[in-house]
Amino acid sequence: MSPPLLQIDDLRVSVAGAAVLHGVSLTVRAGEVHAIMGPNGSGKSTLAHVLAGRSGYTVTAGSVRFDGQDLLTMPPEERARAGLFLGFQYPVEIPGVNNAYLLKAALNARRRSRGEAEIDAFDFLNIVRNKMRVMQIDETLLSRGVNEGFSGGEKKRNEILQMLVLEPRLALLDETDSGLDIDALKLVGRGINTLRSPERAIVLVTHYQRLLDHVVPDQVHVLARGRIVRSGDRELALELESRGYDWLLDAAPAVA
Amino acid sequence: MNALERILDEFDAQAARATQCAPSAARRAAAQALRTQGLPTRRDENWHYANLRALEGVGQFGTVAQPAADAAAAVTLPPLPEPLHGYSRLLIVDGRLWAGSPWPSDPGIARMPFEESVAAEPAAPFAISGDGRLGLVARLFAPEPLALRLRGMVSLEIISVTSSSAAGCYTDLLLNIAAGAQVALVERRLTAPLPSGAAMATAAPAAAIDAHNLRLQLERGASLVHSRLQQTADHVAQQDTLAAIVGESASYRLHQVTAGGASARSSVQVQLAGRNAAFQLRALAAARGTQVADAQFTVLHEAPGTKSDQLFRGIASDRAHVSCSADVQVAATAPGAHVQQSLRGLIDGKGAEMNLRPRLTINTDEIQATHGATTGRLDENLLFYLLARGLDDAAARSLLKWAFLGEALGALDPPALRRVAGLAAAAQLSDAPALELLQ
Repeated sequence: MSPPLLQIDDLRVSVAGAAVLHGVSLTVRAGEVHAIMGPNGSGKSTLAHVLAGRSGYTVTAGSVRFDGQDLLTMPPEERARAGLFLGFQYPVEIPGVNNAYLLKAALNARRRSRGEAEIDAFDFLNIVRNKMRVMQIDETLLSRGVNEGFSGGEKKRNEILQMLVLEPRLALLDETDSGLDIDALKLVGRGINTLRSPERAIVLVTHYQRLLDHVVPDQVHVLARGRIVRSGDRELALELESRGYDWLLDAAPAVA
Repeated sequence: MNALERILDEFDAQAARATQCAPSAARRAAAQALRTQGLPTRRDENWHYANLRALEGVGQFGTVAQPAADAAAAVTLPPLPEPLHGYSRLLIVDGRLWAGSPWPSDPGIARMPFEESVAAEPAAPFAISGDGRLGLVARLFAPEPLALRLRGMVSLEIISVTSSSAAGCYTDLLLNIAAGAQVALVERRLTAPLPSGAAMATAAPAAAIDAHNLRLQLERGASLVHSRLQQTADHVAQQDTLAAIVGESASYRLHQVTAGGASARSSVQVQLAGRNAAFQLRALAAARGTQVADAQFTVLHEAPGTKSDQLFRGIASDRAHVSCSADVQVAATAPGAHVQQSLRGLIDGKGAEMNLRPRLTINTDEIQATHGATTGRLDENLLFYLLARGLDDAAARSLLKWAFLGEALGALDPPALRRVAGLAAAAQLSDAPALELLQ
């Protein structure tokens, strides 16, 4: 068994003084795909953002190690350069910063941190064009502002494109499936599967199991009331689909 | 003595010295108007955020009359910008046409008698409201006022330089754009660096003044794309007054980049006087240190079917103050007017200040208008997105500031000037953007 790529132990987090995560523990190894499911307000997005290093969250206890490093002491940009990628639930629009520039800057930041030379323009375009074909993204989007005027589906596909170009060791995808139609869901699923490899891991944060029809997880966890209350395999996701979350909430007492 | 008294005393002294040549009617009228109106104060609504103390700090008003040849021998010029391809160039040094620079060969550029041109001008609301008062100071002292008539297709670059030996630079220009003419006009204001000795001699050298008065008249169907880049040095108090009258079906596009000067005040008034006249503004002000950049844009819709579209983007870094008042007045005689106005400011320093004042006065029932003004700091959501992609904090902040200015810079023509303007604006930011963004 490979050593853990991500090791979360008893993570407790509060936001503006209110506790949101009440002791989350999770182990993700290279090559694995995990799905974290749960009802609204259960702390899924909080977990993803804390792992990516967003400010405004206070870690009150616990630890997170990523590839052997103490993740919580690293600023967000270092986490990204170390190979952690957050796919945003609501990707922001940044008019005036074009997609190609951001992709290249992000890729070069990662390469520099590994002691590699910056990529030249020709190689960069080759890589991006190949990945765009996978995601069926029109090349004209490259010269547009980041997510500027994109539809909801285009924004999510753009997130996956960024992930494919950056080739992270761990991808945290926060409700990447929300707002997608069936065809877009298939495309996103295809993109995620393209990244699967023995060296990488993927954590999917989602409400629904429909994405899991396209990206089959190794493990499924249910986050409720700030804790992981149940873990299982894909069958658990199917059970949630038919039974909902209430039966698990009943088993997860509220934390004072 | 206060600044007004010093200005008028110096004007009288100059008139007394020029025994051979009495002040022109235009200058006498300007002096009388200044005596009547006085200089603006912070109590005047449209001057509340202007750095009027800069005028009090000006070491000397007026210019020393020198024959052009002697003046040429005495001054030090900064390196001049590369010529813009396809543009004729007029070089003005300390308010005078530079003797060593040939008159443009383009037959579409004709010099007109200044006094007659001024006498033929319609009365400007600017003069009546008092917003154009600092233009009067330029008129008093401009050593070589200039009136041009532009016809046909004309591309003209006017470079105005304050030399190292000058206490001030005053220019007074009147441009008439003939009916149907298509004109691209680039204006650049530069300052020669202080001699190294002068900079060392005193901790706070007296401010030099750069006062500029520009009157534009666009006749029927004329089109003017006007790009202004203000890059005066840190010891210069810039006062810039522009009044434009836009005739029937004429269009005026103004791009203005303010990136320099201890203080910079722009007073701009555009009169949409003819049916279907149109005005578009793209203005950017970037200030750092203790600079003060203040702009007043007034648009008067006076005829049916007129359109105006104003966009301002400002960044105040360190302890700089940036202000913009955008005032649109739609008269009862202007049904069917279209008005757009977008003002945004970014505060990037603990002591920085941003003041945006959108104003819209409508006196007709038939109008389409949208306007908005926002001021704030960098959006933390955008910043986190870039950090989460691995960009370091400084690069991410710089990128976001650059993107913020992009709307105002992006439309600047020609591209060679856009790059220069980009570099000038970038030099005013607390984080320099990546060079490849400036291409």
